[in-house]
Amino acid sequence: MNDPLNNLKTSMKKTVFKDLSFSNERKNAVKETIRRKQSPQPFQSWKEETYLAVLETIQYESCHGYEISTKLFQKNECSFQKNEGQLYTLLHLLENKELLRSHWLKEKKYYSLTNKGKKYLIAYKQKSTKQGVSLKNLIEEASL
Amino acid sequence: MNELDQMAVTDENIDDRKLLINQLMNEYSDSVLHLVYTYVRNRMTAEDLTQEIFIKCFEKYDQFNQQSSIKTWVYRIAVNHCKDYLRSWHHRKVTLNEKVMNYIPSKAKHVEEEIITKSEEDSLVNAVMGLPIKYREVVFLHYYEELTLLEISKVPNVNINTLKSRLKRAKELLKHKMIEEG
Repeated sequence: MNDPLNNLKTSMKKTVFKDLSFSNERKNAVKETIRRKQSPQPFQSWKEETYLAVLETIQYESCHGYEISTKLFQKNECSFQKNEGQLYTLLHLLENKELLRSHWLKEKKYYSLTNKGKKYLIAYKQKSTKQGVSLKNLIEEASL
Repeated sequence: MNELDQMAVTDENIDDRKLLINQLMNEYSDSVLHLVYTYVRNRMTAEDLTQEIFIKCFEKYDQFNQQSSIKTWVYRIAVNHCKDYLRSWHHRKVTLNEKVMNYIPSKAKHVEEEIITKSEEDSLVNAVMGLPIKYREVVFLHYYEELTLLEISKVPNVNINTLKSRLKRAKELLKHKMIEEG
């Protein structure tokens, strides 16, 4: 049995795997991710400003998801950065709550404010804190 | 090892599961990393993927049925994750571009590598690493991890006879390569 492959293990250890080890930093990164993943946050909740920013982007014209995402980015609203999928969750939520409506056009889904949405946006802007809380509460209620 | 299998059985809640993942990492992270490296052939990517693999183990732990050992289960997740990655858009487009870019500005690293590869054991390793994936994986699992063909058949879920012929074919390919290189 003179199989050169029998030396493979020692050879690999000496060459390609030399100093190749899963570092403690990497292990900690795993632990951290796990911790973050299962910290109790059953429903995604967004900041007040985020709701507002999203509503504002479609205040005057209907936009599709990517446009909204770009506009949010321009506004320096980074809640959805590297996590763009969450934007659609929020859009669906707002749609369910009838703050906005959507229609399909050339394979893109365009969102625009409903009258209810406009009212909320204006009300929020006028007396920001009080109404704002109610807007947030309202939407979070909807997510339950 | 046995202790780990036992823990796997008694896992009830999240805290236990976290503990289990920590132990899995302490026990197998280097071997998983090495396994991943044989697929992706890049250290950084291998480390990233290994990290994702352990997170996946944590998430999918419900789906671990006690039929295989936990090591086999982890390996299987690792192998599938690597293959997903190799098929991914990111790998096919971005990594290839990077490779091309890296190649253009400086050849220094390659020269260095070439010098190192002079020795005989390196040429064997290189030949193995240069095999197509389906052969590379069986050679690695068999000769490096020293798994039996039966155990291997559970990792990428391939019929044992297929593995036998792949192993045979792999050896032929290697022989050719080694002869070519002198």
